[in-house]
Amino acid sequence: MLKQLKPFEYIEPRTIEETLKVLYKYGAKAKVLAGGTDLLVPMRRRELNPQYIVYIGNISVLNYIKYDQKNNLRIGALTTHQSIVDSALIRDKFGLLATACAKIGGFQIRTMGTIGGNICMAGPSQDSVPSLLVLDAKLKLMSIRGARIVPVDEFFVAPFQTVLNETELLTEIQMPTPPPKSAGCYRWLTKITKIDETLVGVAVLMTVDSNKKVCEDAKIGLCSIAPTPIRAKKAEELLRGETIKEKLMQKAAEVAAAETSPRSRAEYRRRVTMALVRRAISEVWNKLTATI
Amino acid sequence: MQKQTAKFLINGKSYELVIEPNITLLELLREELGLTGTKYGCGIGQCGSCTVLVDCKPTLSCLTLAVTGQNRSILTIEGLSEGNILHPIQKAFVDHGAIQCGFCTPGMIMTAKALLDKNYLPTKEEVKVALSGNLCRCTGYVKIIDAVLAAAEMIRKGDKLE
Repeated sequence: MLKQLKPFEYIEPRTIEETLKVLYKYGAKAKVLAGGTDLLVPMRRRELNPQYIVYIGNISVLNYIKYDQKNNLRIGALTTHQSIVDSALIRDKFGLLATACAKIGGFQIRTMGTIGGNICMAGPSQDSVPSLLVLDAKLKLMSIRGARIVPVDEFFVAPFQTVLNETELLTEIQMPTPPPKSAGCYRWLTKITKIDETLVGVAVLMTVDSNKKVCEDAKIGLCSIAPTPIRAKKAEELLRGETIKEKLMQKAAEVAAAETSPRSRAEYRRRVTMALVRRAISEVWNKLTATI
Repeated sequence: MQKQTAKFLINGKSYELVIEPNITLLELLREELGLTGTKYGCGIGQCGSCTVLVDCKPTLSCLTLAVTGQNRSILTIEGLSEGNILHPIQKAFVDHGAIQCGFCTPGMIMTAKALLDKNYLPTKEEVKVALSGNLCRCTGYVKIIDAVLAAAEMIRKGDKLE
């Protein structure tokens, strides 16, 4: 039987402002608690022993999915994965993000866990991130000094390390509506373990021209194949401006696989990346060029 | 570390308890309140045997600090039956042989309740997805899935709800 959690001071701020003051006061001694699905595990194992736990789970103003033509999609950091899966709006316009969130954990984890927590955990295999990368998401980070907006592809520094400093709180995830004639998907393979961690995750978003002949834009996001989730930018370049045929899909998939730097089982992961990228491009291209 | 007084609403009953912030909801239920129907399986949120409903949502009580369960409506397996009258999900588990050692059962049933409260006509696939966070080492899951689908039908036909 695992031991009881080590003692800590518990603080429950009621507003974002109160939270920021607390984080400014305690800095690195404090950990923010939302759903708890990522934080309580290392605490239970006594690998992580914060002096202060700052519980923000009741700050309901951080739990929302908002969409308008001007500001596009804005998701509050406390929005749970299940809320994202259940959102008809996200499934319609940002479907690959809903697919990714539906893969996370199990029913309970999705109900408890938040997208903000998933992003801030910053593991190399966080499923939500490839979709956020290809959707050009930006993160709103707040501190008592103000707010800053950081693009997702600049947020991750190393495994479990981000540019978020100890006095900052992630409050919102923003992303523009994909252009018309866009489609995307998220595909993955898992390790065969109790919790089915992602072995390789691939998100693809592509836009086709009005004649449905030429790929105007392509974005490929990958996770679990490098210290942080990445975009396969060289592979994307190959696809832009082209009419995509089988051979090009294969070439782009090979290039994407070569852009990875997996820590373990590298050759296998590159092979899997190649297969998944090729399948993802194929799926999305077929969706875009379907004549029915 | 400061103890604090916290109010809980569990299975329709109010409790006012003095607790330390570092205990989990699972420990509170089992050790403070003697509600041992909810099980300690892995302690790290991987097996689902500690599942309870918090504000109708399936929640891993081993990953929930008890203090965050304040002022929320908590339902455990003990709160599901009414005296000796079993909830349709419990009845279906018994009728369909979905219980062997019984350890995963409370967690399975609470998760199933969360599913059926949200979706009263689930497909087999939807049942599997909903139960994906609950592990069973005995049954092979087939009869558990059958039981949940049967319970859904009983509930649709108007057998006792809630």
